[in-house]
Amino acid sequence: MLRLVVQRLLALVPLLFIVSVLTFSLTSLLPDDPADLIIGQWGTEQQFEMVRERLGLNEPLVPRYVHWLERALHGDLGTSFFNSVEVSDAVMQRLPVTLSLTAVSALIALLVGLAAGIAAALRPRSWTDRLATFGATIGQAIPNFWFGILLVAVFAVTLRWFPATGFTPLSSSPWEWLRSVTLPAIALGLASSAAIARQVRSAMVGVLQQDYIRAARAQGLSRRRVIFKHALTNALVPVVAVLSFQITVLLGGALIVEQVFAINGLGTLAITAVRRQDIPMIQGLVLVMVVLVVIVQLATDVVYGFLNPKARPS
Amino acid sequence: MSVQSASASDRGARSGSRRRASAQAVTVAAVAVLSLLVIAAVAAPWIAPYDPLHQSLGAALQGPSTAHWLGTDDLGRDVLSRLVYGCRIAVIAAAEATSIAVVLGVPLGLFVGYRGGWWDWAVMRLVEAVVSIPGIMVAIVIIAILGTGLHRAMIALGILFSTSFLRLARGVVLTEREEVYVKLARVVGASDRRILLRHIFPNIAPPLIVQVTLTVGAVLLAEAGLSFIGLGVQPPDASWGTMLNTAASYMELNWFLAIPPGIAIVATVLSINLLGDVIRDSIGRGVAVGVKPTTPVARFEAAAPASPESAAPPPRRDDDVLRIEGLQVVVSAKEGGEVPVITDLSLAIARGETLGLVGESGSGKTLTGLSILGLIGAGGRSTHGTITLNGTELRALTERQREQVRGNAVAMVFQDPTTSLNPAFTVGNQIAEVLRAKKGLSRKAAWARTIELIDRVGIPRPAERARAYPHELSGGMAQRVAIARALSCNPALLIADEPTTALDVTVQQEILDLFRDLQDEFGMAILFVTHDLAVAADICDRIAVMYAGEIVEVAPVDTLFATPRHPYTRGLLSAMPHASDRDPPLPTIRGTVPRPGSWPRGCRFSDRCGFRTDACGQRVPLTGTGRLVRCLRAGDPELEAGR
Ligand code: SF4
Repeated sequence: MLRLVVQRLLALVPLLFIVSVLTFSLTSLLPDDPADLIIGQWGTEQQFEMVRERLGLNEPLVPRYVHWLERALHGDLGTSFFNSVEVSDAVMQRLPVTLSLTAVSALIALLVGLAAGIAAALRPRSWTDRLATFGATIGQAIPNFWFGILLVAVFAVTLRWFPATGFTPLSSSPWEWLRSVTLPAIALGLASSAAIARQVRSAMVGVLQQDYIRAARAQGLSRRRVIFKHALTNALVPVVAVLSFQITVLLGGALIVEQVFAINGLGTLAITAVRRQDIPMIQGLVLVMVVLVVIVQLATDVVYGFLNPKARPS
Repeated sequence: MSVQSASASDRGARSGSRRRASAQAVTVAAVAVLSLLVIAAVAAPWIAPYDPLHQSLGAALQGPSTAHWLGTDDLGRDVLSRLVYGCRIAVIAAAEATSIAVVLGVPLGLFVGYRGGWWDWAVMRLVEAVVSIPGIMVAIVIIAILGTGLHRAMIALGILFSTSFLRLARGVVLTEREEVYVKLARVVGASDRRILLRHIFPNIAPPLIVQVTLTVGAVLLAEAGLSFIGLGVQPPDASWGTMLNTAASYMELNWFLAIPPGIAIVATVLSINLLGDVIRDSIGRGVAVGVKPTTPVARFEAAAPASPESAAPPPRRDDDVLRIEGLQVVVSAKEGGEVPVITDLSLAIARGETLGLVGESGSGKTLTGLSILGLIGAGGRSTHGTITLNGTELRALTERQREQVRGNAVAMVFQDPTTSLNPAFTVGNQIAEVLRAKKGLSRKAAWARTIELIDRVGIPRPAERARAYPHELSGGMAQRVAIARALSCNPALLIADEPTTALDVTVQQEILDLFRDLQDEFGMAILFVTHDLAVAADICDRIAVMYAGEIVEVAPVDTLFATPRHPYTRGLLSAMPHASDRDPPLPTIRGTVPRPGSWPRGCRFSDRCGFRTDACGQRVPLTGTGRLVRCLRAGDPELEAGR
């Protein structure tokens, strides 16, 4: 397994390199000089030069990139253009919020997707199947933030079961955390559960027609065991890839859903940064996202190897 | 849905046409919604009852009324008017971002696909990098550089979605290039670039259309999202996303504000997605589009009236393990209704006996085996007859009880061992699982027994091989494992369905020897299903020849080979290669087994039989004692002479 992880990590090096170059070049892509942004129109030439010096803008491009990368690898992503906040502090402070939202919604999406997909696959063309397929089609057309608004209207404003806004960290109160994360996670996870359900259904329908399923039944193993052990293990192989992709989607979706619930996560940070063209902050956000995606991909590969013996390096 | 008759064939036919009708209705509805959207977008100034920007603070946050059908927002603006103008934004957004994506992605994809090499590598790595980051984040980054606003946001989305068009175009070039190069070898002189382009356009259009519909749906959702978080359309302009932004802030005061724009988004995206599905399906079906289904096959009414033609059941023997009497199996046809696939099938196998079930593919041999197990599969069921195993009537059992019987009293070995073993588990695990589930052995005992079994079927180093995955074993080894699994609970009956067909010729003999050996040791009865008479001759005691769902001849193996009585059996025998022959045998029976549902009225072999007479137009019973034959002219001198 270690070998697999190392192999995959090495394969990800070019990707990480390109992303870092792209991220770094954001500063140069900006139409305005960043020093302008920071000081504003009425700065003196001297102030202007100081800022350029501090940002290293006077250095040639390549050494500047190397410097930037060096510091980024040490966890130093610079400071915001607009206040003296360290980018890494700001990002790390909000990361747990967005992460817990993404993780819970991924879990919901997986569970709902599996349940609906399996139910549909067991009786193709039945009413269950049609209902699940129809539900999945609709689920993929509903914007997560609108679904969030509806959930708030029903379960927070009307029924008052959940708080309408805000987020309680897991560390301060697990129960309140669960209450605060439930609605946003459901809102966020809806479309992904639809996508997963579709994949589960088609994978499961395919697997259930395989000889080894019939052979296992012929051996007198119970229907439940054959479905949940023999069929599901194989059907999960393609589902893992979809789940991995959906986690990336969820991570992006979280940025928007956070706004519905006034959750102070990476989304709020990103939106503020964009409006102010706060490039260091955006660079930090992109890098964090990429690292998360890479971790998810590694985990996917490991799970994939676990489910599919043929994919294991021998 | 109102008139549901009890007839299965009607039901089948109708559910098929109902499905098509409902698919059509969905398409019509989707097109209607999208047309409405476009009309609203174009004619917004004439349709909208109010100026979408006109504020009237006195009338803020009102519910629906005759003056304001959908109420008013926080600034007293008319929601319906804003919704109508929102259509305009939606159409502009979708058109803008999708066109940018196509214009950027397709040429670049064609270029890198065509050029290949370094260009291809660099661009694809770039695409990979962009795709690995959440899409919304990519859009946010681009907006950070370009600034906010509808058009800038749409440029951002266009760049984001261009990656999928790029990959699509590149993929088409790569596949087409292969084909063009193959053709170029023959057509010398033509410029490959021109040929390539000529090949690409017809091939890129269908996936491109599908991708466009997918992109439009995604753009609409993304645009609404970006406007909702304030990075797309800027207030006071009316877009569905900004309207929802307002709605979110006034949830407690007027939740209804969230409904109209939300429904507008869902209806639009749903319509475009459904339309995309329809387009993809019709492209997928290719030429089959619009072909009407054939008329449903009528239900096989009162199939094989039991009395007149049913053969007398095979004589009872004391040591019979399996007796099948008058079995009929039907399956539901694609066109609706049910057609019989096995009729009036009777056979018996004694302890230690091997009965060969022989016939061409499509004759119903495999299904006979599966019927014994009660695993005919979805859409099929047995309708008549009895299957008695060790004195128990299997058809009368509940599914639970049948599960008990399977594996314990009867087991099956399938044709292709590489597909009948589960690829996700070790072979040892799959045998041990059966022992634990059926025999209640402990984990440890089951594993020990598994290794004994693997050893017994002649696999060297069994303890090591037990930990192998099926794909790590050769076909012959895998079939030995499958046999070990089937025998793990010591069944009285083993059904072997073409167990040597998928194997290498040199391995076939070993597996047949293994069967013989195991039968000597365990004493089980074997139903050996095969199309290969040579194999049957080798291993069987008696042979039943099957044709078009019925048995046409039964005889001890030597007798059958010496004096075949049914013309079909004779055809099979003369098609048999002799051991010395290297060449494949000449086909002596023209045609193939007729499909269930299109069997000839009388003798089912009559359309391929060289001896048919007028009398053959009626049903022919299976006659005789000891050896049975289903032919009117069996024993006829002319027929015998033709041997
Ligand atoms: S019954 Fe007639 S048609 Fe059928 S096999 Fe015998 S001779 Fe041929």
